[in-house]
Amino acid sequence: MRYEYILLSAIFVPIIGAFALPLLGRFSRNLRNLVALGLVVVSLVNSSLMLPHILSGSTITVAKELLLGFNFTFIADSLAVFMALISSLISAIIIFYSFGYISHYENQDEYYCMVVLFFGAMMGLVFSANLILLYVFWEITAITSWRLIGFFREKTQVLRADKAFLVTVFGSVLMLIGFVSIYQQAGSFDMAVIKNYPISNIAIALIMAGILSKSATLPFHTWLPDAGVAPSPVTALLHAAILVKIGVYVFARLFIATFTLAGFWHTFVPVIAAASAIISAGAALVETDLKRLIAYSTISQIGFIFFGLAVGNEIAVAGGLLYILMHGLAKAGLFLCAGIVEQNTKTKDITKLGGLISTMPVTAVSFLFCAFSVMGVPPFGGFFSKYMVFAGGFASGELWIGLVFLVGAFLTILYLFRVFNLVFLGQAQIVPIKETSRTMVMSVAILALLSLFSGILIFYPSGFAQAVAASMPGVLK
Amino acid sequence: MTDKILLLPIIIPLIAAVLVFMAPKKSRALVGNISLFASLLNLIIVILLFKHNLQLYLPWLGFGFDFSLRLYNFSAFIMLSIASFGFLVTLYSLVFMQDKSPLKQFYAYLLFNLSFAAGAVLADNFLVMLLFWEGLLLTQYGMIIIGGRNAFRTATKAFIIIGITDLCMMAGIILTGHIAGTLAMSKINLPLGGLASFAFILLMIGAISKGGCMPFHSWIPNAAIDAPLPFMALVPAAFEKLLGIYLLTRICLDMFQLTVHSWLSTLLMVIGAVTIIFAVMMALIQKNYKRLLSYHAISQVGYMVLGIGTAVPVGIIGGLFHMINNALYKSGLFLTAGSVEKQAGTSNLEELGGIGKLMPVTFVCFIITALSISGVPPFNGFFSKELVYDAALERGFIFYLAAVVGSFLTAASFLKLGHAAFLGKLSEKNSKVKEASFLMLLPMVVIAFVCIIFGVFNSLPINKLISPVLGEARLEGHNFSGFPTNMWLVAATIIVLIAALINHIWGVKNKGSAIKAVDHIHYAPGLSGIYNKAEKGFFDPYEIGLKIALGLSKIAFWLDRAIDWVYNTFIVKLTYAFTAQIRKAHTGNYSAYLAWSLAGLVIMSLFLIGSIGKNPCILH
Repeated sequence: MRYEYILLSAIFVPIIGAFALPLLGRFSRNLRNLVALGLVVVSLVNSSLMLPHILSGSTITVAKELLLGFNFTFIADSLAVFMALISSLISAIIIFYSFGYISHYENQDEYYCMVVLFFGAMMGLVFSANLILLYVFWEITAITSWRLIGFFREKTQVLRADKAFLVTVFGSVLMLIGFVSIYQQAGSFDMAVIKNYPISNIAIALIMAGILSKSATLPFHTWLPDAGVAPSPVTALLHAAILVKIGVYVFARLFIATFTLAGFWHTFVPVIAAASAIISAGAALVETDLKRLIAYSTISQIGFIFFGLAVGNEIAVAGGLLYILMHGLAKAGLFLCAGIVEQNTKTKDITKLGGLISTMPVTAVSFLFCAFSVMGVPPFGGFFSKYMVFAGGFASGELWIGLVFLVGAFLTILYLFRVFNLVFLGQAQIVPIKETSRTMVMSVAILALLSLFSGILIFYPSGFAQAVAASMPGVLK
Repeated sequence: MTDKILLLPIIIPLIAAVLVFMAPKKSRALVGNISLFASLLNLIIVILLFKHNLQLYLPWLGFGFDFSLRLYNFSAFIMLSIASFGFLVTLYSLVFMQDKSPLKQFYAYLLFNLSFAAGAVLADNFLVMLLFWEGLLLTQYGMIIIGGRNAFRTATKAFIIIGITDLCMMAGIILTGHIAGTLAMSKINLPLGGLASFAFILLMIGAISKGGCMPFHSWIPNAAIDAPLPFMALVPAAFEKLLGIYLLTRICLDMFQLTVHSWLSTLLMVIGAVTIIFAVMMALIQKNYKRLLSYHAISQVGYMVLGIGTAVPVGIIGGLFHMINNALYKSGLFLTAGSVEKQAGTSNLEELGGIGKLMPVTFVCFIITALSISGVPPFNGFFSKELVYDAALERGFIFYLAAVVGSFLTAASFLKLGHAAFLGKLSEKNSKVKEASFLMLLPMVVIAFVCIIFGVFNSLPINKLISPVLGEARLEGHNFSGFPTNMWLVAATIIVLIAALINHIWGVKNKGSAIKAVDHIHYAPGLSGIYNKAEKGFFDPYEIGLKIALGLSKIAFWLDRAIDWVYNTFIVKLTYAFTAQIRKAHTGNYSAYLAWSLAGLVIMSLFLIGSIGKNPCILH
């Protein structure tokens, strides 16, 4: 019984609490900020509290029957807790960073309300065990992210926010049709009931459209670079902790943990992912806007995650899950570093920057650490996830797709060094500017160190990811 | 418990490196002493472990990713070399780096380097090896980037080249593990062919790229100028050759069954021969002490790859012997370069000359190491080159020819270097140059001494260190130590060396100065144009690769923009066109609207009636 309260409060404390934030903001800004952080930390702590119970192999279920075969079910299994821990950890750091970043702007009450609601919806989505419930939380993230991308309210920002909303909602409506068609075949929206039901390829295709549009994968990806107009902590949330991770999570949840995919999809999804990985990596090498560049990098890296998850053997799935963690930490770090650079220098054009390492040493080193992790250099965490994804891919005989991803990995090294050298090394082109906010610098340093130590202490995350992979029925043996 | 002692050569430098990083800013002496103590302790432990066969096995990540280490004759041999060079270069750096900064980072990277190199050599699991091997990327990047404000370009170049080839190696390791069904290196033994050949090539790329073979070499000459000198003496001259050739030998000998009939053996020999010739051609025309040496660091690895690629025992012995010999004389030569640079303030040959009298010990060390690299008997380089010649001749005259022409040019370029730097007229500016300090001379003298020992008493390294690597079965009772048996080859070598000397004397006489001794080759018709382009980086595989990558990226970017156009323009226009048509239906005609509504109602009713019959659960 106790665990059920823990689970429910992990979801609903941030969702309900989010609406209290604007009220608190009327009394004290600091209090509001701390409470916002506290709401996320509640989820983080609760997720950790569930960990021992989950790792012993049991699950936590909260179910309430409603009308017409709909029910209201949350399940905490190892996959859900794994994802919840990653999201809440990274979100907590990003909100801490926001204390410094967002203090310069208007509408802070709305900002914190939306961010925490966004996060709460993610928690709800992660623990949902009902397709309709999952869809509801999915759309809450779409609405909140629409508001957050357009946070600065200029014409471009609003248009870009609309674009992100329209593309992802277009996908999610297709997904909803897919859900309905599953319901027509299997007779329920409850994942526990419809587990292992052989669903039609049309339903899978419709749901894949939703997943790919949310995870910004080719050909639904172009809203993500455009969403770079959002405040930097928001982009970090979108890329690292919440939005694009929803797609890969739901892929794992539905197509590995609930249904089994037909053989065709184990090749088709990696092919799309490979095209996505390599085209966006190439675009990242040409792009000159700092935040757009990192966004292309996310699209490319999401391809690697899909590769691991879709190939579907145990090591590949474990690698893909580990990749979600490692990419989340590193990418959040890169975006937050970009935020520091952008806010202090007032420019995002990397050709106009340079030599910042002398005035922003901590930011520069943190950026480099996170970049190393994304490149997959040991002992950083990214090395292990990349290795395992490739190991799984080759073990499944996907040699050619694997080689395309290898080229993607080459390009990753190139574009990350290009941006690092242009921004932080070489001749300074602007008046030297110091890092102003300590909370911001601390946040990026924490993420950089987490990227490093997640690799040095790889035994723990890797063991967790393997336990998750082993628990999923759709994993190919 | 005893097997855990294998962790010490990895952990001791690692702890020392962390201590160095945490040391207070001002304590320059402390940092040096920690490093010296750690590298000495490391050396002692490696010596104590030397004759042992040990294995450490710790379960680690599942999926066959076990933390296993293995010390046996081959890894012990490489370990001993690594620990010795680590210690000698640390000793040298105590004085050389004295007034340079950032000192802390330098020592920390040096120690990390020691630790990772030890890990890569000791590893008995491919993933563990890759972990340490790729870790060296970071220390290499760090050690180059501290060289100066603009060193980051070279550091990036080195990182990109080695990083990309390391990724190839990662793919090779995964494929090998997939085919063999295990990642335990000592259990892998695969026949070549099909996928296995592909895996071999990927692993080979990693190995020869680490060794600095063409076409993965081009960062080394840049690093010679930008990076701190002890880095050059330690990493490109010694560690990378040791590691690269160690892995190449492992994959050729143990993990894959490379035979003389395999096209991969021929491929390796071609790479080796090409590397020897082109790199030494570039070395010949250099006018900077360090840059000249760096091209030799590339050229010499060609001999090793050629020797091992022959896949015959004499070639492999020769390749391995050349590996250790090259590590000795090349790092010795770099150390002489460092002492000249420190004392005279420049490594530009045009500003040097005549300092041999002022720096006699350095000069003698230079002579010994230069004679070794040129392959003059009875120094060590002569014996290993003869073994490689022997094997190359067995496989094809063209390979032998490449090796001999390489020797001719090597000798010519060292005659030029020695003459231009140490002999000739002493300039006014250099008249106050003094001999380097004792701590810098000591490592050079030790290395020069070992060069002689390994030459005169070559049975010591060949029989004690190298032959056990091949094992009794492969050697078939041959003994490759002692003086070469094929006197024709020796005679040819000596003729070539004399020719190089005549060429030098003639060149000096012709042009009137030592530095211009090879100008008749440099500016020979047909060659000068090629040289000109090569010096501008026209043939640099890195630059070419970058251009290709950028070209492909532009295509990718256009594709991406095209997709974006679909969203931003096409769909928007389509929607407007579509709604314009729909709008026309809104005529304001009441009866038309009524008809539309009725039609809709009928369709809905038909659908509902149909689905109730088929699907009962809709009523739940």
